[in-house]
Amino acid sequence: MLATATNVLRIHPEKCTGCLRCELACSYMQTGTFHPAKSVIRVSPFEGHTSYAPYTCTQCAEGWCMTACPVGAITINAAGAKDVLDDTCVGCKLCTIACPYGTMFYDPDTRKAFKCNLCGGAPACAEACPTAAITYEGTATEDWLGEFARVRSARVLAGVR
Amino acid sequence: MTTASLRAPSKRPTPSAARQPQDGYAGKLLRVDLAKKKCWAEPWSPDAMRELVGGVGLGAMILYRETATKGGKGNVSWDHPDNRLVMATGPMAGLPAWGSSGLTVVTIGAGTNGPTSTQANGFFGTNLKYSGYDAIIIQGHAPDWVYLYINDDVVELRDARDLLGKDTWATQDTLSAKLGLSGHMLSVYSIGPAGENLARFAAIQGDYGHVASKNGCGAVMGKKKLKAVAIVRGTKALRASDPRGLMQAADDIGFDLRTDPSAKSLYEYGTLPGVVNLSRLGALPIKNYTTNVSSVDMSQWEAPKLREGFDHRGHQCSACGMHHCHMSVIRQGERKGTIVDEPEYEGWSGAGWAIGAMSDIEGVAWLNTELDKACLDVNEFGWICGWVMECQEKGYITEEQLGFRLKWGDIKGAARLIQMISHRQGFGNLLAEGVKRAAEKLGSPAKDCAIYTERGAAPRGHDHRARWDEMLDTCTAATGTLESGVPVHPTEVGQPARINTFDGEAVAKFIAGIRGRRNFEDSLGMCIFTTRTRLENLCRALNAATGWDVTVPETVRFGRRTSAILRAVSLRCGHTPDLERPSTRYGSTPIDGPAKGQAVGAQWEKMVDTWYREVGYDRKSGKPLPATLKELGLDWLTKDLWGKRA
Repeated sequence: MLATATNVLRIHPEKCTGCLRCELACSYMQTGTFHPAKSVIRVSPFEGHTSYAPYTCTQCAEGWCMTACPVGAITINAAGAKDVLDDTCVGCKLCTIACPYGTMFYDPDTRKAFKCNLCGGAPACAEACPTAAITYEGTATEDWLGEFARVRSARVLAGVR
Repeated sequence: MTTASLRAPSKRPTPSAARQPQDGYAGKLLRVDLAKKKCWAEPWSPDAMRELVGGVGLGAMILYRETATKGGKGNVSWDHPDNRLVMATGPMAGLPAWGSSGLTVVTIGAGTNGPTSTQANGFFGTNLKYSGYDAIIIQGHAPDWVYLYINDDVVELRDARDLLGKDTWATQDTLSAKLGLSGHMLSVYSIGPAGENLARFAAIQGDYGHVASKNGCGAVMGKKKLKAVAIVRGTKALRASDPRGLMQAADDIGFDLRTDPSAKSLYEYGTLPGVVNLSRLGALPIKNYTTNVSSVDMSQWEAPKLREGFDHRGHQCSACGMHHCHMSVIRQGERKGTIVDEPEYEGWSGAGWAIGAMSDIEGVAWLNTELDKACLDVNEFGWICGWVMECQEKGYITEEQLGFRLKWGDIKGAARLIQMISHRQGFGNLLAEGVKRAAEKLGSPAKDCAIYTERGAAPRGHDHRARWDEMLDTCTAATGTLESGVPVHPTEVGQPARINTFDGEAVAKFIAGIRGRRNFEDSLGMCIFTTRTRLENLCRALNAATGWDVTVPETVRFGRRTSAILRAVSLRCGHTPDLERPSTRYGSTPIDGPAKGQAVGAQWEKMVDTWYREVGYDRKSGKPLPATLKELGLDWLTKDLWGKRA
């Protein structure tokens, strides 16, 4: 499918093996180095060490980060992603507080906020994922992780390792 | 690498040289002195990186430089405080090539009391390099049990007394809970009770199911009273010289692994297909080499069946796209719901076929993980447990001696044996000495049933009487385990694509001919399953990471140089060529099965003679010949080994 402004990062948590290659690719796109600490996609472990799921900015319609930013440093790019304008961002971190999903980050080295910008329309994480657990496609946004998390959490609460 | 000048081993990298950043590397070695309770970072220079690469290349040189005694004529033993435990990654670790979190453990091992090179993966390499270190070099014995905690620049030796007695999985669970970190945010490599109690085939296990298993490296860790190494995922950056080129090379390697006939089954099923495939060759070890004919329906052992028999959860190593490592959940029976690490082929063989457990697949999977938890090498356990079973059957080991009756295929009895060995209880105290020492203690006829090399190592989980290449490799390698390894695209290094595997001379020439590649792979910080591509691709990835211009012939030369250095260490350890032979049973002739009547013993001497001639070592003394060393650029080693007259 052609990339359009409606494409989203679709997460297939059941396919994720926790190899974290997406974080390497993402950090390279974000920083030019391999630096997973600065990846804006993060792989979250469930059940201790036996299930994994990537998560990143959902590019939510509400755009809490944009609303909160006092200097208008967050805009919508051509891929439809909320993007931080580095030359405008003053590093106040309000956006990191406003984001309900924990996918807005602050870089103490650059003193700027940073987040997933869908790599301008060709997300490196989707390209790098060896199991197609992350795809970039035109589909309605859904809560990709909800059911997965519910099942895993239930198992943990039931005492199953 | 040919252009890099090789320094005499007494020279250390200078701090000023190390200031030049080298792409692909973290740039520092982490030194730990357990006796003095000190940890410090030591820079290493780009020249040293190019010369030694990492992994076994680095580790071999550290052993050579730092474990000598008697003015370079002798070597410290495995349990000496001056023994080094090197836990090294390599330039590819932490980068996006598949399986790039490799750990190579290099030390003087407790099995052979000689050099060791043994590998594992998981997230060790990634976490360590993002913390800023390419390798950890551990010396001294701690006065009290400690674990090494690494969190970027915070490196501490912490009290581990509360971890004592815990198995390796419980150790990782405890540390994860204590540090508040889950998943791959924390990589833990530790020893279980077997390592604490210095079982000579204790392994170092990490990240739930990854094992550096050979030559008793876990006993070395135990002797040093180092319970675990816990590495928080670092926050530093790694730079590649040509990142786009690296991604391209990594994708090309991935393509090869997915599509090349020599790697495709590994990509799909890891090492599971080995069970059925090796049984067809007579190379699946059944009941301690007493037969090569399966008494069960082999269709249940086909790889898809093995995999489908369990529920699975993701458990890949760093950046890996292989369908290899899995967590399995046992679906049925008394262990229903238990999570185990999906056994490798060697798990199915060591915890299964070698001990006659050929039907209880869930039981074998469970037993394999019990071995990982106790930190025992599954291969040597298979040989020792199978040996005890056979000896009991034949009356060579009595029920009174062992304390109970252990029959073929008895999973629960085998689990009891694990505990006896791990805690050195009763007869387990003798068995913890490893198969060779235990067999020699009992003497014939029990001894004649035991599978080992005279050097003191135990072979990998195959019936090498149908794989002469691996038997020769196992016996002649300085490390006591495969040095040439399994052939991967042998034509790339000028060797025939296939040979008559029962022609001793051809086998010896072939094994000598492909020698070098494995050490190169084990220096990269990658997994040998994800390096199963053409060397040309590996060079491209390495060069993109580092900015070097390494060529295929240089990789082979590098690997052989590393072998020569390891050989020099093993000679210092007193390993002479007369130890390079299989035990009676190991070198016997199969009485049935596909390799029936193929007598390796009849060709053994000729094979070893040929191997020595081909690798350019002196048959009598075992030393690499001066001409060989000169060709490898190891002139300084010539002086050490042969004196001034050379």
